[in-house]
Amino acid sequence: MNLLLAGLSHKTAPVEVREQLALPEEALPAALGTLASQPGVAEAFILSTCNRVELAVRAEPDADAAAALAGFLAAHEKFAALQADQYLYRYPQRQAVRHLFRVAASLDSMIVGEPQILGQVKQAYAAAKAVGALGGTLEDVLNRSFHVAKRVRSETGIGQMAVSVSYVAVELARKIFGTLASHTVLIIGSGKMSELAARHLRRSGAAAVFVANRTFDRGVEMAARFEGRAVPFEQLFDYLAHVDIVISSTGAPGFVITRERVQSLMAARRHRPMFLIDIAVPRDIDPGVHKIDNVFLYDIDDLEQVADANRRERAREADRAEAIVEAEVDRMMARLKAHDITPTIVSLQAQLERLRRSEIERARGKLGTLTPEQEQAIEALTRGIVNKIAHTPITQLKSLATHPDGLHLIDIVRRVFNLKDPS
Amino acid sequence: MAETSVFWLRVTLALYSLGLAHALLTVIRRRQRLFSAALAAFAVAAVFHLVSIVEEGLAAGRFPVSNLHQSSSLIGFLITALFLAIYWRYKYESLAVFIFPIVFLFTLVASLGHPVEPWSSPVARSSWLLVHVVLALLGYAALFLTCVAGVMYLIQERELKSRKPRAFYHRLPPLGALDELGYRTLAVGFVFITLGLVEGSLWAFWEWGTRWIVDQKIVLAFVTWGIYLALIFTRWTLGWRGRKAAYLAIAGFCCAALTWMVNSGAHSFVKR
Repeated sequence: MNLLLAGLSHKTAPVEVREQLALPEEALPAALGTLASQPGVAEAFILSTCNRVELAVRAEPDADAAAALAGFLAAHEKFAALQADQYLYRYPQRQAVRHLFRVAASLDSMIVGEPQILGQVKQAYAAAKAVGALGGTLEDVLNRSFHVAKRVRSETGIGQMAVSVSYVAVELARKIFGTLASHTVLIIGSGKMSELAARHLRRSGAAAVFVANRTFDRGVEMAARFEGRAVPFEQLFDYLAHVDIVISSTGAPGFVITRERVQSLMAARRHRPMFLIDIAVPRDIDPGVHKIDNVFLYDIDDLEQVADANRRERAREADRAEAIVEAEVDRMMARLKAHDITPTIVSLQAQLERLRRSEIERARGKLGTLTPEQEQAIEALTRGIVNKIAHTPITQLKSLATHPDGLHLIDIVRRVFNLKDPS
Repeated sequence: MAETSVFWLRVTLALYSLGLAHALLTVIRRRQRLFSAALAAFAVAAVFHLVSIVEEGLAAGRFPVSNLHQSSSLIGFLITALFLAIYWRYKYESLAVFIFPIVFLFTLVASLGHPVEPWSSPVARSSWLLVHVVLALLGYAALFLTCVAGVMYLIQERELKSRKPRAFYHRLPPLGALDELGYRTLAVGFVFITLGLVEGSLWAFWEWGTRWIVDQKIVLAFVTWGIYLALIFTRWTLGWRGRKAAYLAIAGFCCAALTWMVNSGAHSFVKR
């Protein structure tokens, strides 16, 4: 196996460099063709997103993978112009496998755990497959990376916690109400952030969104953007008695919603829980409201705090994910090693040599004393037989090594000649 | 107790049992149905109840409060009368969920003051007892879940109130789901323990006459039942849920556990 990966990502290269080097989808097949046609390259894979460009190749056993990659990069005009070599990381063999696994599992992403990257890797895989640039160990590694990504997703909570403030609002609403299906939202005032949160809530299944704005027409305008309904500001408290989630962001100088007001609403609500989000500065909702049973008030700092806690939780989960990746890399490497032809050829030769020697030892007693010439003749004869037997399997192994069927052939040879797995 | 008085009291109890059935169905289905029928039965029962008490008083020649059974009967009647008056004036339907079972229980105790012949068939007797035990255990199992849901609710509520989510926030179910689980298990558990209680009372009455009523286990069972009734009532009328309901559910289960532990499983009069 002769794997090499070179790439740059948000961790090593500034966005100005990344955007220059990113390959548009339509340019990908040509680039894959160029990379795959470099001397000694058996398989090629290119992943290009806005956050990273990764080039991976598997070279023939005795070819120079680094030279092949350098050849590809030299042919790339922008790369030379940007002096992009300084941003490049290079990972050989095991490190390349680990890097591909980590990328697919979203451990190397800007927002760790974001789910898009796996889809992007799969697309890149399909593109490489389509131009015939895959078909061997590298393809095996990529296939395994999908499995690793799935395992990480299902065995850790890495993608589950909201890390942006507006998603945190949705997550909290879910933690309070369970399903949002029968719950309604009231937006007081206007603002980008409340609109965003309302959109997320609506998409997560909230039954209805009402908008109360002091200027009714502005409310109508805003409500139209997410299938909400504008209500007169004067009826604010009638609606407060019924809605479950309130997002407030008015420009009012004092509290729009006081503790006494909410307290008196609770009996009418039959103590159904209420989730209030105050994103106004100065605040719209009396902080004392949070002390009422079944009422949960979060301001923008609180949401930020939850997002922070979620990020820490994600980091903890990422540690567990790294352990999974490490174990998967070990397994992959063990498999690749077993499938590698060189150790197979070596152990095949060793096995045959052992057989030859033990047979000569057994025959020696019956042959009596031999002259050095006779000794040499037996040596030459047995060696000749063994080499003839080994010749076809070895040439077949060598020629099929680059072919996906090579893996099966290795298995067959190991079984037929009873070779032990290299440890 | 006078013969005719006992007869009327049993008729009353039969009518009150409609009220109990209505309350249990309401708790399970969360909608008041057949309320007018139950109310009519209740009103008729109140008349028979009064007749029974008057006859009892005439037979005894004094105001009938000289023993536990007589006073239970009177308390039951007074609650009924008060409820009917309040209902006539204010139409508080939801009160019925609380009142019907209470009145039924008082009248049940009252009607058990007059011993009857135990069943002659030992098979019938032991299976009746078995049903009591099974009902009680099913009830306890459901109420245990109510208690667990309550504890989880309190933890998750604290996480959300603290605004600094820790591990529990991520790992426990949402408050809404826990509240729902708590109520569902409560409804099922309450029906089972009510049936178990009534069933057990009748069994004890047939088998042991009237002396069982002061058994600690019985008293505790009634207290437990009272806590759960209060839990259902506060939710049904005042809409109490969440933290308060969770505390009551935990208290109720502690009491239930105590009931179960007293005399290690069996009632004191059974051992005697």
